[in-house]
Amino acid sequence: MRSMPAVIAAVLLTLAVVTPVAAQPGVTDTEIVIGCSNSFSGPLAFTGEQATKFGVDLYARVVNDAGGIHGRKVRTVYYDDGYRPQDAAANTKKLIEQDGVFAIIAPQGTPPVMATLEYLEQNKVPLLFPFQGSPVTRARKYVFSGMTLYDRQSKMMIDYLVGPRKYKSFAVLYQDDEYGKSFLTSFEKDLGRHQLKLVAAEPVKRGVTDVSAQIAKLQAVKPEVTFLVLTPGPGAQALKERQKIGWNDTIMVSSGPLTDERYLALAGPAAEAVEGLALWPDPLTSDLPGVKAYREHMARYFPKNEPNRYSLSGYVAGMLFAEGARRAGRNLTRDGLVAALESVKGFQTGILPPLTIGGDHETQKQGFWVRVEKGRFKQLTDWLKSE
Amino acid sequence: MSRRVAIGGLLVLLAAWPWIAPRYFIYLASLVAVNAIVAIGLNLLSGYTNQLSFGHAGFLAIGAYTAALLAMHARSIPVPVALLIAGIVTGLVGILLGVPCLRLEGLYLTMATLAFGFVVTEAILNLDGLTHGADGLRVPPAPLGRWQLASDTSRYYLTAAVALVMVVLAVNVARTRTGRAFLAIRESEIAAQTSGVNVALYKTVAFAISAFYTGVAGGLFAFVVGYLSPDAFDLVLSVDFVTMIIVGGLGSVPGSIVGALVVTFLHDWLAAFQNYRPLIFGAVMVLVMLFLPGGLASAFPRGATR
Repeated sequence: MRSMPAVIAAVLLTLAVVTPVAAQPGVTDTEIVIGCSNSFSGPLAFTGEQATKFGVDLYARVVNDAGGIHGRKVRTVYYDDGYRPQDAAANTKKLIEQDGVFAIIAPQGTPPVMATLEYLEQNKVPLLFPFQGSPVTRARKYVFSGMTLYDRQSKMMIDYLVGPRKYKSFAVLYQDDEYGKSFLTSFEKDLGRHQLKLVAAEPVKRGVTDVSAQIAKLQAVKPEVTFLVLTPGPGAQALKERQKIGWNDTIMVSSGPLTDERYLALAGPAAEAVEGLALWPDPLTSDLPGVKAYREHMARYFPKNEPNRYSLSGYVAGMLFAEGARRAGRNLTRDGLVAALESVKGFQTGILPPLTIGGDHETQKQGFWVRVEKGRFKQLTDWLKSE
Repeated sequence: MSRRVAIGGLLVLLAAWPWIAPRYFIYLASLVAVNAIVAIGLNLLSGYTNQLSFGHAGFLAIGAYTAALLAMHARSIPVPVALLIAGIVTGLVGILLGVPCLRLEGLYLTMATLAFGFVVTEAILNLDGLTHGADGLRVPPAPLGRWQLASDTSRYYLTAAVALVMVVLAVNVARTRTGRAFLAIRESEIAAQTSGVNVALYKTVAFAISAFYTGVAGGLFAFVVGYLSPDAFDLVLSVDFVTMIIVGGLGSVPGSIVGALVVTFLHDWLAAFQNYRPLIFGAVMVLVMLFLPGGLASAFPRGATR
């Protein structure tokens, strides 16, 4: 060991020998291993941690304490990508090739998920219920969407506002990326069905917090309804700006991903009377049986963690996985799981309306209307239709 | 003699790697090679010429997007040419950054390079017609004549071969008049100038070469990872590169490789608890600076590391 190249060679060889080779697809006699790469650091760390470690894991605890799935306990493995696509790609490879997970469950965000789509599809690994709503996940054999896809959200919003609410002029303030643009094109298409058009659309670059110029421009066109397709920071900023300039003759409506508690808290009193499409029942106050059970389970297994819609979404993801794995039977394979999930019909979560998955691989397809009253979302409608 | 045997052994190991290592480690080895090229490039600037840069993620991004866009829109260009173009484009940007940086020293230079990194990601976000902004870009497999480098193994051989060429070039640059000028500037700018070294010229050359290396690495990064978004090139990545050369050894080519190896594997092992990552990386850096001021490269006998 006299020279540097020899040292490098030795290090590499040791790594090759020491590292275990995992060839099992994550199913043994006693356990099923699933996992994902998610944000545990960076801008979406809270969402990522809640959906996985307090959502999927919460349901896994429930299932495991009840004896598991066909006698197998569910074990989860997570790695942090901090929203960086290269780390999401590396972590996902590691999960499949080193840890040998059976399926990927509940990763988050369009770029990190996109970075792994081709790889997972090529390797025939199921990608279950990613926490993102861009339709890029459609029409793939091993991918099942989670969140109601953006075009379905748009359809519900337009049909409800044009139909029962009889509004005619609409404007949009949207984030200038896949999320915002998916909504924008869908809004245009759905308004077209009613012979209507958007009267104005103003983009907001990601990371920008000052939206005063856009709000002033939108006010000048006087739309009856202004959609907000943003993230909580700029969304709350838009509401405050509107309050500051005293623009009261428009209804501000938040998209599904924006309609959350953080947006509400950031906007404070400026959020009063704002409306939106909610994809989840209120995790703290809803008295649906499934949400009550969720709160009880949270209090039992993670008493220090407050209920919120991110852990609720992960909990539902865990529940759907368990249902699929149960239907697939004791002889669990990846293709078997895909077939089993496709056969899910009218499945009662007690949280969402009955779920039918089928060949389109879409799990959630609905949302309902809410209005902010005294700092909380109040439900105005039953689940809306998006078919 | 033993040195030749060792180098030969290392080459055989590099060639055999995809056949002996588990699949994931083929991918990881590609990342090590990419990072090693960046670390060598950064070392030429920071280790040899003492111009510390915290903006190399920006250079990596420019190279990555250049190569990715070429692969998407000009598929007849074979991958080595695309990598060369990525390197040259990034090198030109390096000169553009290097010239104003001539007037800056120490902390101010660091601030300027830091800002450069942010400017690049903002530019990627705002040039969304070309770069798809925040949504990111799926990179098609690298074209090479009639073939497509679509497997982990083919991509590994590409990165390993390019890295080898870049290592040989760097070792040779370090031995030339230019390399000696870099070292003279590091030791003392005034002394270098007094001895007839054109400090302004060589500092600019250092920026250009460093950016060229990082641009080529960026091109490889695009093909190895297969997906680009501005989130990929954050400050954390720039700091990782600095960590590589400090841990490996400032002003040492083998040190750069060892640094890239250690940091890449550490990053991978810490994937499950990245919240502790800055703490662990920081501790490693402090320990190395305290006990091995010359980096891991200095832990081995003189002469072995050139």
